[in-house]
Amino acid sequence: MKIDGNPISGAQLISADRLSKDFGTTRVLNEINVGVKEGEVVCVIGPSGSGKTTLLRCFALLEQPSDGAVLMENKVIGDASGSKAVRQAAKEVRSDIGMVFQHFNLWPHMTVLENIIEAPMRVRGVSRAVAVAEATTLLEKVGLSDKHDAYPVRLSGGQQQRVAIARALAMQPKVMLFDEATSALDPELKREVLIVMKALAAEGMTMLVVTHEMGFARNVGSRIVFMDQGEIVEEGAPAAFFDKPQTDRAKRFLRQFED
Amino acid sequence: MGDYRFRWDIIPQNLDFLMTGLQQTLTISAITLCLAMLGGLVIALLDMSRFGLLRFVGVAIGEVVRNTPILVQLLWIYYVLPMALGINLDSWTALVIGLSIYSSAFIAEVYRAGIQAVPVGHREAAQVLGLSPMQSFSRIVLPQAIRLTLPPLAANFVQLIKYSSLGAVISVTEITRRGMELSASTFRPLEIFTFIAIVYFLICWPLAMSIRIWERRMSRR
Repeated sequence: MKIDGNPISGAQLISADRLSKDFGTTRVLNEINVGVKEGEVVCVIGPSGSGKTTLLRCFALLEQPSDGAVLMENKVIGDASGSKAVRQAAKEVRSDIGMVFQHFNLWPHMTVLENIIEAPMRVRGVSRAVAVAEATTLLEKVGLSDKHDAYPVRLSGGQQQRVAIARALAMQPKVMLFDEATSALDPELKREVLIVMKALAAEGMTMLVVTHEMGFARNVGSRIVFMDQGEIVEEGAPAAFFDKPQTDRAKRFLRQFED
Repeated sequence: MGDYRFRWDIIPQNLDFLMTGLQQTLTISAITLCLAMLGGLVIALLDMSRFGLLRFVGVAIGEVVRNTPILVQLLWIYYVLPMALGINLDSWTALVIGLSIYSSAFIAEVYRAGIQAVPVGHREAAQVLGLSPMQSFSRIVLPQAIRLTLPPLAANFVQLIKYSSLGAVISVTEITRRGMELSASTFRPLEIFTFIAIVYFLICWPLAMSIRIWERRMSRR
């Protein structure tokens, strides 16, 4: 069932239910329960190796859970069984979930425009004219109107990431997942990407953001999820979390960012 | 050597004879390249198959072919197949089949390297955007892989032109065989085989150079 235009307040748009993930004998995620409501910006922070990226990849349906489930609008779209019904459900919501990668992953043999219109044309089935018009609007939005015909190699990292954001938005997703979208960028390039992400949040986009940018998490996040060793250690409103972390592990983690 | 009297006029006198051989050489190389590109695809697909048995077959063919000499393979196809399995092939067919199988095993590796050189992230981006595995392969992986495989494929063509000279051993009338025949009747191996070496060089060297320039230009993109 789709909830169009009239979100039921409090309903989870996308969520993990006792989600676990093992790689071999290593448990990377351990019974994670977390959800993102419509319009929320949930920032996931924590030390490297804490499982944040794996959690995001489970939401993006790039990893299959070892146990528990991933749900979209209360429908199971990923679980350990990988049954036909679940795969079908996943296929249906696939393009409602947009993802931005740490290393951009633009397709180097296509121009900026081609990168953006590829999926709308082939998956949503819109005409080239419509796809180009939409892409033009999106490029304007991310401040790259003049880069239509450039190849990704000719762009800076920050520009590439903004194109990647536009490419994800072109599928008109209901939720956007950001996997350390600024980690591979130089400080001055981080800013331009964070500005785009902030604008997106201000428009009401539902976002799940794995990040090391504490400033962004504090100012833009509606909720902070702190992970360590495959578990959610602490969760709360940004101000409360950053000013008065409850757990020792969160306190220790946050201390690194004081200078 | 001092009083050796060169008789280079042997070459122009028999040019037509030698050139029919060259024509054979180039025809065989071109046909073999086409067959090997298809054969390489089959072996590469077997190698990357989801099914263990198919993967084993692909790997086994590749390893056997790559680790035995091409000359022995040709002799085996020409002399042993009729005895062992009653399959009689004329020498031309035996050469084309032998070279094709040999080249397939190498071209399979070229394809695999090309496909694996495309970062996993590119496929994941396609997957997240909802492209089907087929779309992802044909639109994202293949165009990038082809660009990477073209230079090695061309290099394989150069190899084939040279290896086709082995056909002489099973009496395929390509240029080397023609040279052997002419040398037997004129007793002029020096002029004839020097000329033939130059012909091979003049075909292979420009090809090899263009491939090098091509690769350099690609790496700059």
